[in-house]
Amino acid sequence: MVQWDPFVLTFKLATITTVILFLLSVPLAYWLTYSRYKIKYVVEALVSLPLILPPSVLGFYLLLAFSPRNAFGKFLEQYLDLRLVFTFEGLIVASILYSLPFMVQPIHNGLKLLPASLVEASYTLGKGRLTTLLRVLLPNIRTSLITAIVLSFAHTIGEFGVVLMVGGNIPRETRVVSIALYDEVEAMNYGQANLYAVTLLLFAFLTLLIVYLVNYRSRITKVI
Amino acid sequence: MIGVSLKKKLFSALGEMQLDIDFTVNEGELVTLYGPSGAGKTTVLRTLCGLSIPDEGCILVGDQVWLDSGKKINLKPQQRDIGIVFQDYALFPNLTVRENLKYALKKGQPSTIVNELLELMELTNLSDKKPELLSGGQRQRVALARAIVRRPKILLLDEPMSALDTTLRVKIQDYILRVHQQFQLTTILVSHDIMEVIRLSDRVFLMDHGKIISQGGPGDILPIETLKQMVGKLLK
Amino acid sequence: MKKNSLALLFLILGNFALAQNNDQILIAAASDLKFALDSLVTVFKGAHPSAVVDVTYGSSGKLYEQISHSAPFDLFFSADIEYPLRLKKSGVTASDVYAYGVGRIVIWSLMDPKNDMATFLLKPSIRKIAIANPQHAPYGRRAEEALKYFDVYDRIKPKLVYGENISQTAQFVTAGAAEAGIIALSLALSPAMKKLNGHYYIIPENTHQPLEQGFVVLKSAENNSLANDFKNFMLGSAAATILSNFGFTKK
Repeated sequence: MVQWDPFVLTFKLATITTVILFLLSVPLAYWLTYSRYKIKYVVEALVSLPLILPPSVLGFYLLLAFSPRNAFGKFLEQYLDLRLVFTFEGLIVASILYSLPFMVQPIHNGLKLLPASLVEASYTLGKGRLTTLLRVLLPNIRTSLITAIVLSFAHTIGEFGVVLMVGGNIPRETRVVSIALYDEVEAMNYGQANLYAVTLLLFAFLTLLIVYLVNYRSRITKVI
Repeated sequence: MIGVSLKKKLFSALGEMQLDIDFTVNEGELVTLYGPSGAGKTTVLRTLCGLSIPDEGCILVGDQVWLDSGKKINLKPQQRDIGIVFQDYALFPNLTVRENLKYALKKGQPSTIVNELLELMELTNLSDKKPELLSGGQRQRVALARAIVRRPKILLLDEPMSALDTTLRVKIQDYILRVHQQFQLTTILVSHDIMEVIRLSDRVFLMDHGKIISQGGPGDILPIETLKQMVGKLLK
Repeated sequence: MKKNSLALLFLILGNFALAQNNDQILIAAASDLKFALDSLVTVFKGAHPSAVVDVTYGSSGKLYEQISHSAPFDLFFSADIEYPLRLKKSGVTASDVYAYGVGRIVIWSLMDPKNDMATFLLKPSIRKIAIANPQHAPYGRRAEEALKYFDVYDRIKPKLVYGENISQTAQFVTAGAAEAGIIALSLALSPAMKKLNGHYYIIPENTHQPLEQGFVVLKSAENNSLANDFKNFMLGSAAATILSNFGFTKK
């Protein structure tokens, strides 16, 4: 008996997270690349934190921060009718934080590699910062953008520790595939568990394949 | 008429250096900043564009004040009517030759000038190609054309031919003269190739260690320089 | 502009999540009820075909924590009646706390304990013994107590591995990660474990505190008629029979 709900939920989570993350990360990566303020080094470290922080640590602090028993959680509930623990929305917030470096770093690295003269040329041709970003910078880091999007999407799909802490295990709300897998193993339903596991495995493999192919193709064209 | 006066402390491989220059350029002139590497020539160009900020300075273009450090006026590059060809050409890799030129158009400017320039620089056959498929000389011409699309008040050329061989250099020099005359530009060229300078310039400013040592017509300044260089080579 | 559309997105999604639905209940249940409650829910759904009944299993302590942090459950079945009683004290319940049975612990192994628990567990061939995490799983605490009662706890402690909840504990043993485990009788009696041809030995009641199990309807289900129906179903005779089949004896 195949359960589709966890797959739908996981896909929804990954898609929404990736879209929001992209919109947030482009300005952030831009700022990290071109800002002169020394504080950008602090910000860069903070952005990279989720890479090495154990997911349960992130989940723990999010749980404390968003719990309706504590000040911030109460505020959210009272004024925005929003609860971020044990809800899908909470997972979105957690995923955005958890996958942040996977979106920001490739974009930031891509921008760093562009010659400064491109930006300067655009300015001397009378174009402002936004036009330069949209018509010169982003089109020339297409590979980085694709890598960033694919990696963030895949990373969110595989999320477990943070979701467990902040999401609970609520069917059709926070029971994503990785949690459902855990559940089925606990219940000794190895058949169903295998279904989830194989799907995640295939997906992870496909993702890496795409990322490597995209990067390989771009390297080939640059040789000309 | 263009009046430039700049003071800036520069740090180079040769140590600290004080850039301190003062010069004027008449409309329609083609002048060259000539001197050894590290003399500060590129800094002067970048300051004219607004890409570099001097410690003190004043730039007057016609009746427009582009820079006045005393009155805290400093126009951004976008606000200066300038065209510059960078040493690395800085063509946009994602756009074709034609698109690179069209990018430069001002709001509301008719695009006829794009075709005019493509013809003038003999780039019409290449107009749908992306920069990565062009040779060095071809990219040079595109960069030159793009800098002129907006009919700028000043055209700046930063050692534009340093990466080209002699035959190509002569060709590009022809193009520079062509556009300079056709569009009645005021051009400031940075170069350390004597032949080129003699061929193109109305006037030459000799720069060294951040200062203008002498200025005059190419025939006045340069023969002495050539002699100096030849003697220097003989002595070695 | 970005912030506003974000808030809007959240509000829309949030409304979908928090909408009150009287044909739907979410149950938090101790892991020892896995098979028993699954059966009960099937029977209940037979009488309420349009009902949506979801269950999340976990260790009672963990679920208690989540509920205290406003996890959106409608009913809570706990392996230790202490937890629902505490919830009632803090005012987040919508009904009385009902006892539904007493749980029993058993030693389970593929090898035969031969009714001699202490000697069996001390055998060198039993390299790892699984119990539920005593910090938040009632079955784990009782396992500890029984081990202490038989005076083998100190010698066995190095061999102990801890399951997140009693289900995972059983899974450790069946997967072979541990050679023996102290698990819930209700799990040992389940079809999944019965077919593995393991052996189990029920640990005498006097060796540990009783595992009084209890359930309660939570405040978020105050106006949920389906939750009320389920409560009544659980208090009825059909439910009692099923529960005793799975080893939950009445006190």
